[in-house]
Amino acid sequence: MTLETLFAASHIYLGNTIWYLIVFAILLLLVKHYAWGPVSEMMEKRRQKVIEDLDSAASDRKKAEVLVNEREAALKDSRKEATKILSDAKTNAQKASDEIVANANNDAVSIRKKAEADAKQAKADALNDARGQVADISVAIAEKVIAKNLSAEDQKDLVDQFIKGLND
Amino acid sequence: MEKSFVFEFLGLKFDLVGILGSTLMALAVLFVCIWLSKKVEMRPNKKQNVIEYLLDFTNGIVKDNVSDPDAQKHLSLYAFVLFLFIWFMNQLGMFLEVKVGDWMVIKSPTADPVATMSFAMMTLLLSFTFGVQKFGVGGYLKNYTAPVGFLLPINIIEEFTNFLTLSLRLYGNIYAGEVLLTLLGDRLAMSGGPVTLVLAAPLAMIWQGFSVFIGSIQAYVFVTLSMVYIGKKVTKE
Repeated sequence: MTLETLFAASHIYLGNTIWYLIVFAILLLLVKHYAWGPVSEMMEKRRQKVIEDLDSAASDRKKAEVLVNEREAALKDSRKEATKILSDAKTNAQKASDEIVANANNDAVSIRKKAEADAKQAKADALNDARGQVADISVAIAEKVIAKNLSAEDQKDLVDQFIKGLND
Repeated sequence: MEKSFVFEFLGLKFDLVGILGSTLMALAVLFVCIWLSKKVEMRPNKKQNVIEYLLDFTNGIVKDNVSDPDAQKHLSLYAFVLFLFIWFMNQLGMFLEVKVGDWMVIKSPTADPVATMSFAMMTLLLSFTFGVQKFGVGGYLKNYTAPVGFLLPINIIEEFTNFLTLSLRLYGNIYAGEVLLTLLGDRLAMSGGPVTLVLAAPLAMIWQGFSVFIGSIQAYVFVTLSMVYIGKKVTKE
């Protein structure tokens, strides 16, 4: 094959070069307008969106972590508080029960004292009563004994003595 | 020998085969692109996935070879369209080779050195433009003496060899593919009646499949080397 046939029968058609360049330039512009432009723009937009989504996911995660920590701390606090309330209640109850028992003891002691005093009083009263009655009874008995045993003479003496006494 | 319609217009010679093939394939690229990106959404549909994959692919070629981010942005479109256009032109001759008598009407435009040289020239001019834009005229010319002064002639010769290897590699691959396909389809099939006709069919099929592969590889290589040459101009050595 000679060089002549290689270049299509001695024609080096420069016109084609210009035609190719023009066709390519037009194709470039049209593809840019209809396909390359919108598609690459959308790809860039998607890239930005992915970046944004990743960023927001990371920040959400961080937020969630902070929240979890807060919640955990709050839970721990509330547990502590509950324990404190419980122990407070316990000590309060202990105190109250102690007080009640002490009061009851005091009351019991005072009641017993009063009862003792009352009993003593009653005993004393009873003794006093009994003493009076015994005296009366003994007097009555004595009168009766005396009345039975005294002779007329003795009685006369007694009356005399009595009258004498009256006279003095 | 096959002939082609050549006509003269404004003192320039035009070859109808190249014009027809390239225009058809430019339209094909355009329609495929428009069809694929008819509905562009944030959540990509199937067609959008295809064009986004292609765009990612050519963007990958650009990013691997051009380190300047500003040039990357501009070259993304160039690489995308260049790849699709050359790929379509490479494949055209595989399934559509129209001959009327001895007159060739449609074949791969890239099986013609003028076409591949045009695209190589375009890349070369683009690389000059990027280089001048980046370093200024003085800085750009000074880069020819980098890294040392006596390499100046070699650096200048390199421009020509770059241009020639870039264009002739593509031309040679596609032209050889078409020649072999013509041999299988024309000469072998017609040489011995029905027996060779049946024999030639699977061979032609295998070769067509291989040519599709070669056409894709060559389109990839062309775009990659274009980006390498442009990338070299915008990076300081």
